[in-house]
Amino acid sequence: MFREKYNHMNKQIYPSPELVNKTISSATSTVSSKKQHKLLFRKPIIIVAVLTICIFTTLPILAARIPSVYELMYYLSPNVAQFFMPVQKSCEDNGIKLEVVATYIHEDKAEIYITMQDLTGDRIDETTDLYDSYSINRPFNSSATCQLIGYEDTTKTATFLISMTEWGNKNITGDKITFSVREFISGKHVYDQIPLDIDLSTIRVASETKEVEIIGGGGNFEKFLSDEDTSNVLLPSQPMNFPVEGIDFTGIGYVDDMLHIQIGVTNPLNKDNHGFFTLKNKKGNEIKCDYNVAFTHTSDDGERINYMEYVFDISQAEIEQYSLLGDFVTSGLFTKGNWQVTFPLESDK
Amino acid sequence: MEPESLRTDDCIDNVVRFYSDMVYRLAFSQMRNKSDADDIFQEVFLRYINKHPHFESEEHRKAWLIRVTINCTKKIWASSWSKKTAPLDDTIIFELSEENDLNYELQKLPKKYRAVIHLFYYEDLSITEISEILKQKPSTVRTQLTRARRKLKEILKEDYDV
Repeated sequence: MFREKYNHMNKQIYPSPELVNKTISSATSTVSSKKQHKLLFRKPIIIVAVLTICIFTTLPILAARIPSVYELMYYLSPNVAQFFMPVQKSCEDNGIKLEVVATYIHEDKAEIYITMQDLTGDRIDETTDLYDSYSINRPFNSSATCQLIGYEDTTKTATFLISMTEWGNKNITGDKITFSVREFISGKHVYDQIPLDIDLSTIRVASETKEVEIIGGGGNFEKFLSDEDTSNVLLPSQPMNFPVEGIDFTGIGYVDDMLHIQIGVTNPLNKDNHGFFTLKNKKGNEIKCDYNVAFTHTSDDGERINYMEYVFDISQAEIEQYSLLGDFVTSGLFTKGNWQVTFPLESDK
Repeated sequence: MEPESLRTDDCIDNVVRFYSDMVYRLAFSQMRNKSDADDIFQEVFLRYINKHPHFESEEHRKAWLIRVTINCTKKIWASSWSKKTAPLDDTIIFELSEENDLNYELQKLPKKYRAVIHLFYYEDLSITEISEILKQKPSTVRTQLTRARRKLKEILKEDYDV
């Protein structure tokens, strides 16, 4: 209905013939003046040659040695930046080695196997997670993912698979890509359906709530946001007794007839601690949260806390039949470094 | 709305004529007044002429023109001049009075939602295609579209099935 009306309306919108003709005539004059400029600059070819030599000899060094130069080049033109990056299939920093071990390129797809090995300690393990700290720079439009596919305990080596597909069904062979990692987390601890010692029959309407700006969420959380993307959440309390180290339990109570449960993670940028809750009754019936919302708070001394609030559609009359369980993941180690490899997209023979 | 082959070998005259309606309608959908749409129209094709980009397909050329049109509108919105001036009341008079009403109501749609609405409803682009053109994540585009529809429903009341 809206589509038809909108389309009919748009059919009546078009540029005036004068505007089109003016644009075309200015195009013609611009093109001819550009041609003149080209002729003017054709003669001093030696200057161009000298400049080219300077660029080809200095830019690869600058791009490889100075990250900001490379980033600036990549921002301006991914093609140029990747062209100038020298091939370097392995690198070492902070006692950890990053290496490209195999590539398989076919049509518009590339599969690249990369290893990370801890040469000095035990920071690389089977839970190593690059989360969002890695980047895959390539000179074409594509989708790319990176996932941990294996871990070798004796050599403390984790293997990652980068899968990439170029948009538009183009042949991917021939370009260079740069894979870099700034930090990773490891030493993950997984808590699976642990019972939480909270008597749900005592949960009452929250005494204090506040309107906060929501930065994300899960489920159909958008339905519950105001036009300004805010939501009414529990006022975070001091952390209560909670069995998961690295996650603070900061509130539970009813808001607008929905059960809200809130947790917080302090200094979240160097960890990926998260989890979710389940309500379970004696018959084994489970209730998951309807939606969850995330918001953040930074204290005056610069300490950031990310809060996640889980909202269940269950009445106060029913809640006493249920107990609370939780699934959580926390990470123990956070390692920073500067690892970067550049390699051509060519299949290993 | 699949672009047909231009068979022009990049002839600027033909490119401007072929894409003139698309660029102008997109520009108007963002600004909702003729004078700004005129400015954007010229700016887009001037950039096209100056850069003279090479495209491997018509889809690529169309995507480039859409992206540049959106960028030009953002540039106008961001300029301090635009922030301090009220738009001229030089809109288009449509055939039907309900279309004039619709045009008036669409001015109330927040600017950040106008592009996804136009590309989805008029250019018939999918969420994936819009995300590729606007260089945003598909989830971001999906969220914008959901919110834009919600906003449109509020603005248009029960008059249209959005």
